[in-house]
Amino acid sequence: MRLFSPLLLLAWLLVMPGPALAELRNEDPTEAMVRHIAKDLRCAVCQNQSVYESNSDLAKDMLNVIRTKVAAGEQETAIRDYFFQRYGDYIYLEPTTQGMNTLLWSAPFIGLGIGGLALWLAMRQWRKRTRENTQPVPTNTAMQERIQKELDQVHL
Amino acid sequence: MNGLWKIVLLGVVMAILLLFALGLKNDPRDIPSPLVNRPANDFTAPALEGDQPVRLSAHRGQWVLVNFWGSWCVSCVAEHPYLMELAKQTKKRTDFVMLGVDFRDNPDSARAFLARHGNPGYAHAQDPEQKIAIDWGVYGAPESYLVDPNGTIRMKHTGPLFPGWFEQRALPLMQGAVK
Repeated sequence: MRLFSPLLLLAWLLVMPGPALAELRNEDPTEAMVRHIAKDLRCAVCQNQSVYESNSDLAKDMLNVIRTKVAAGEQETAIRDYFFQRYGDYIYLEPTTQGMNTLLWSAPFIGLGIGGLALWLAMRQWRKRTRENTQPVPTNTAMQERIQKELDQVHL
Repeated sequence: MNGLWKIVLLGVVMAILLLFALGLKNDPRDIPSPLVNRPANDFTAPALEGDQPVRLSAHRGQWVLVNFWGSWCVSCVAEHPYLMELAKQTKKRTDFVMLGVDFRDNPDSARAFLARHGNPGYAHAQDPEQKIAIDWGVYGAPESYLVDPNGTIRMKHTGPLFPGWFEQRALPLMQGAVK
């Protein structure tokens, strides 16, 4: 029983956020749409915060603009485009995959490719060098005779 | 490591350092506006003073300087003397008019601002929920746009207008020297 009561308390604490989550599930579908759009838009005056998360006045007013537009039945793409036309692609938290941005998106893969190629070339060179080092040194007859002479002088 | 690799590595490091050096000079607040050379979004809003609503399209045929400001904005205080001077200087011009958009503000504070720092005399539109400001892609205050007689935005200036701005930036555009 002494072990049981802390466990019970823990279970109770885990169940507690239930009502809050239920509220989120039962939210107005319009508000869900507003949240969906606002989470992808950058709060223009903050550092890396979305319009939905920010407490700045501009973000709050932007949220209201989105809310009005969603209520008026505008499509998600139309609303995103509205902000894009006014603030440029800076307004998107995640850069679009169009135009010069394709370079941005492909850069890590290009970098990985170049790195891989460099590593492959380097490894090939290392292996070549090891092979060269382990191969017998080519000798000529004069050299061989000298080695033999030296060996003959050694008394074991 | 052979000589070629050394040169390649040096080149890459130099390129990265160069990019950093260029990036350091960038002002993160100076974001190019996609609205330049696009038709300005018209607005009609209650004026700060008087009953006549302020409408941008009423000034077709004139160059319009649209200045976004607010009584809460510190840089606007710094900018204000030049706006006063510019309004006085261009009063006789028929081809140039100034409009203010007082956004995210309450009219009483804005009027108090003008009473305290001087009233340049041109009309100000009230935009308490910054609907016009968002429609014009405004980030903060002060920001100014120069609209040509056809209603096209030709220039955006972020931050306070500086003394000589009209002669250096606006006049060349107005005289067609800059396309």
